[in-house]
Amino acid sequence: MSDLRSANTLFQISEPDAGNELDRREAGRAIGIDLGTTHSLVAVAPSGAEPRALADAQGEALLPSVVSYADSTPLVGSEARAQLVESPQSVLVSVKRFMGRGSEDIDFDHPYALAPGEGQARFEVGGREVSPIEASAEILVALKRRAEAELGHEVRGAVITVPAYFDDAQRQATKDAGRIAGLEVYRLLAEPTAAAVAYGLDRGGQGLFAVYDLGGGTFDISILRLRDGVFQVLATGGDSALGGDDFDRAVASALLEDAGVSAPSPSQRQALALEARRVKEALSEAERCAVSVPALGIETELSRERFEALIAPWLKKTIRACRSTLKDAELRATELDGVVLVGGSTRVPAVRAAVEDFFGRAPLTDLDPDRVVAYGAAITADLLSGSKREGMTLLDVVPLSLGLETMGGIVEKIIPRNATIPIAARQVFTNYSEKQTGMSIHVVQGERELADANRSLARFELKGMPSLPPGMARVEVTFQLDADALLTVTATELMTGVQQRVEVKPTYGLGDEEVDRLVMESLDHAGEDFAARALAEERVELGRVVLAVRTAYDEMGSIEGLLPESERAPLVAALEGAEAAMQDASIDDAKAIKRARESLEKSSEAFARRRMERALRAGMEGQSLAEIEAALAEEDKLERRRGGHGAETIESEGPQS
Amino acid sequence: MTSSEASPPAPLERFDPSRNHFERLGLAPAVALDREALESAYLERSRRVHPDRFVTADAATQRLAMEHAAAVNEAYQVLRSPLRRAEYLVKLGGIDLDSSDAGTGAPKPTQAFLIEMIERREGLEAATEAGLEALEDLADELADEREAIVDAAVKALESGEVAKAAEALVHARYLARLADEIENAKESAA
Repeated sequence: MSDLRSANTLFQISEPDAGNELDRREAGRAIGIDLGTTHSLVAVAPSGAEPRALADAQGEALLPSVVSYADSTPLVGSEARAQLVESPQSVLVSVKRFMGRGSEDIDFDHPYALAPGEGQARFEVGGREVSPIEASAEILVALKRRAEAELGHEVRGAVITVPAYFDDAQRQATKDAGRIAGLEVYRLLAEPTAAAVAYGLDRGGQGLFAVYDLGGGTFDISILRLRDGVFQVLATGGDSALGGDDFDRAVASALLEDAGVSAPSPSQRQALALEARRVKEALSEAERCAVSVPALGIETELSRERFEALIAPWLKKTIRACRSTLKDAELRATELDGVVLVGGSTRVPAVRAAVEDFFGRAPLTDLDPDRVVAYGAAITADLLSGSKREGMTLLDVVPLSLGLETMGGIVEKIIPRNATIPIAARQVFTNYSEKQTGMSIHVVQGERELADANRSLARFELKGMPSLPPGMARVEVTFQLDADALLTVTATELMTGVQQRVEVKPTYGLGDEEVDRLVMESLDHAGEDFAARALAEERVELGRVVLAVRTAYDEMGSIEGLLPESERAPLVAALEGAEAAMQDASIDDAKAIKRARESLEKSSEAFARRRMERALRAGMEGQSLAEIEAALAEEDKLERRRGGHGAETIESEGPQS
Repeated sequence: MTSSEASPPAPLERFDPSRNHFERLGLAPAVALDREALESAYLERSRRVHPDRFVTADAATQRLAMEHAAAVNEAYQVLRSPLRRAEYLVKLGGIDLDSSDAGTGAPKPTQAFLIEMIERREGLEAATEAGLEALEDLADELADEREAIVDAAVKALESGEVAKAAEALVHARYLARLADEIENAKESAA
């Protein structure tokens, strides 16, 4: 992986064909993936063919970008979405907004529990931690499988699109998700650039175009110049946390306010979010729309006029970004030859009107705004697979400046935003004293003057500087951005020619080791991974049953009539056997654990039933209210401790008393 | 979109790090560079060396393509901007504006110029208090002035007066910083 983390291996690249065997590309077999905030899709354009999107068995091309961890096996797509209201905190939506972000950056509403800790934010779902990178990998796996089923061959190579405005951490997170899903990511392609490719804007000869891309959670504006098969991005801008989701949220919070509800539960919130989204979509066609959220007692109506007023602040933000991006490209709106609309959110009439008003021309909308990005990705994937496709060259840019933190926390820019990639910058550092053998360097990304106000990309140490008089050691550090806009750092001491060790610690994203582990798990050990998960789940189950039976036995096992001697020995044997199985970490067979649990359940069934009968009888025998309450409380206490397991067993026996 | 015979890419030449930006794009060093000539030279070279053309080649070739492409992009980045191009020509003429070396580094601005800058900062403060319109006026005024300074530097370069050009460009850097501050003030005022 030619990224920042493994930068210190860069020097080995010139070794003859190192690792090239793995990298052999199969012409015409790569796929293009639009990994979106609200939905994703996969398209192919094999060996120069026109692009087409691949549909699932139901004929649906759009896969909802939803991953459910409510069950033992993750579910993806509409099946996952169906569990949203029931398990609002275990069903992950819009994970793209969490990619490459720390929990301190998540400043929008969401129903999830985030695990404590620094670096990449992680969700706590179903008793374990899941990073948005892993969740994205589940989506990519689903699309990869769909493509393999449709094409009838294995798929390895892919182009995955990212918002043009994604920073290094967000891009790296996306690339890692691809790796975990078992894909070789040929390119992280900017979504607006993909759209320009799909439109074939280069075929009209020369031209200047703006691509306005408003998706579910991200907004991009790119200005491109097209000429003789070259797609040259002149400038790009946007907001990687602004999209149709924000329209939904604006509607939802207006509805909540109208209804006077201040603290909805997670499941009420998800029900409301689903309805807000439906209403938004309906208002693209209708002038008014009925709103109904039974869970919150909301029955009302929303007009398009009110909707447009609610989303106006977001639209204004996008237009402001258009203005400054045009300025970066040193162009006026009137110099453009066309404006292209991309992204599902550009279906909203107010969005179209705002774009038309600003650019002074009707935008192009010939291609389905939901699919155009995947089409462009498919064409690019085909090209990069080595297929015989008419040459086109993509010259994309880095969206945010790259800088180094200097004395006093001030940033010194080394690569300006909108520089065409790949590009390199060199910086020479010197020593302050003879004793100094290293220095630490902090790389940030962003436009602000103070390092703290920008995104921290990585910190690294230069080590092994030669001992030279002050100012004599000269270390040249090269910062290289590749065609994915991912950073690599290398260093050389100029006086001695010694290459320096560069140890890079990325601020966000998963560590190299963790990615490797996840890749191993998902690729080579898919079977083992499944077995390990099954084992862990069985162990949790067994632990619950053991705790319940042990507690009941210790507290009530000697009460007259509850546990006949004939049952006592087998129960104790099963209980001790189960406890031994819990202790024995060497048991790696889920079935063995399951057998221990089933044996314990069977031998303690009658005991559990009698305890319940005793509690009920206590009520029927006309005892005092206080005594009944005490008996019930005792059962209740036990019930809680055993997590409801006993109750299920009794129900399955049918009415007994 | 198919092409029956996708021509194999022309082999890449050895990468020569000592080439200057003009040589990199095959252009004669010139202060007044024909924009059209620059653009077509850049696109032609980009098409030729872009790493995407070598995806099926060996790793060493891919690395070479990356080096070429990065250098072509850097050359374009510098030469397309009249200001950065002028600074680069001054550098080729022996004065490095990024260095503080007494002999070959940026010339120190005169005391009179520094006093003028202090006064202009005060002017910015006054305009910030007066509001957005005053800031816009100040920005327009400064833009004209910066253009005039770059023109002066270009003229000096054309007549071979590198030191004089360097002096003008140092002034231009001070004004650029002031312009950034005005932009920041405008943003806070908006």
